[in-house]
Amino acid sequence: MNLFFTLLAFLAGGAAVALLVLSLVSAPAVLRLRRDVADAALPLALAVAATCTAGSLYYSEVMHYTPCKLCWFQRICMYPLVVLFTVAVARKDRGIRFYALPLSLIGGAISIYHYQLQRFPQQHSAVCTIEAPCTAKEVEQFGFVTIPMMALAGFTLIAALMFCLHVASRTPLTDQEAS
Amino acid sequence: MSPNPPKAPARSRAPWIIGSVVAVVALLFAVVALLSGTGSGGSDGGATGDAGRMGVVNGPVTITGAALPAIAQTGADPAAGKAFPTLKGSNLLDGSPLEIGADGRPKVVMYVAHWCPHCQAEIPVITKWIAEHGNPKDVDLYAVSTAVVPERGNFPPASWLEREKWPVPTMADTEDGSAFKAAGLSSFPSFVVVDANGKVVTRTSGELSTVQFEQLLAQAKG
Repeated sequence: MNLFFTLLAFLAGGAAVALLVLSLVSAPAVLRLRRDVADAALPLALAVAATCTAGSLYYSEVMHYTPCKLCWFQRICMYPLVVLFTVAVARKDRGIRFYALPLSLIGGAISIYHYQLQRFPQQHSAVCTIEAPCTAKEVEQFGFVTIPMMALAGFTLIAALMFCLHVASRTPLTDQEAS
Repeated sequence: MSPNPPKAPARSRAPWIIGSVVAVVALLFAVVALLSGTGSGGSDGGATGDAGRMGVVNGPVTITGAALPAIAQTGADPAAGKAFPTLKGSNLLDGSPLEIGADGRPKVVMYVAHWCPHCQAEIPVITKWIAEHGNPKDVDLYAVSTAVVPERGNFPPASWLEREKWPVPTMADTEDGSAFKAAGLSSFPSFVVVDANGKVVTRTSGELSTVQFEQLLAQAKG
């Protein structure tokens, strides 16, 4: 499963970059594609949040990795998104972006901090205690993909989806562009 | 002639986008499952996949003598001057008997945990120092592998130390960390400096530079 989650993280990262480009470019050729992606944004964001939640529960409940403090902070940002997006999909509520974007950005910021702490553990302290340390790397694929990086990919993709949804909602297509 | 009717807005391709994403993820899962099935036992082996090469992970340790008081975060070490308990156990790397106790020689005992990044950083530093200077003539070096948690990665500890070409005799602590507790320690890596009479000179925790490591050796010699 580590390899699967790692490849999903790569996929999520690539998709997030593509979405940001799609959101920022205003060429007529991409406007309809942006609208279509925005139409799919809520169910896709729900799928991303649900996958991240399932992955995090897999590591703690199946693999028995003890979540550290920073892992818990990231969970606090990710888990509610599943409920929020489920309701938003049911209600077709695009306004969810105003709640989901801050949560995903905060979660992503914590992931970045956690990841660099794993890379440079000396800044935290010079010792490990027996409790789950934030500096330990339970998973490391290809020498650099750890659990916080996987979480970062998830948060980034959700943020990119919400940003795309926001841009598309603010710039409705003309009849000519829509046809 | 009637005018052309206005074009209807094109239907959204959102269902196709969602379907494509689901298909890509399902394909990815299938490929990984196929690779894991034909591979050598899956990719979650960071924790347990090395079961065949684990060797000794934990071992029985017989402790003779009183446990040292808990290490103080600041101030003088309350264990200074107290007898270091004798540890009888087995070598993590080859399973041979190993004893760390009062034998008339000063010693430095290092306690490491395989999952601790600071221990992972310290081991190569000391390995390199020994490669450059040789084993210290007047001070014996020992290590104790403790706090083994397979789920925390870099497991088993024997594989890690073999990979690092660790030249120091290393005892496998018990599952509940008896040797670690008997030394009154609370974090990793930790060092206990013992003089020739078997008395504790000092204890310290955290990553050491080579200069700090040399200071510990000098303290052991007295």
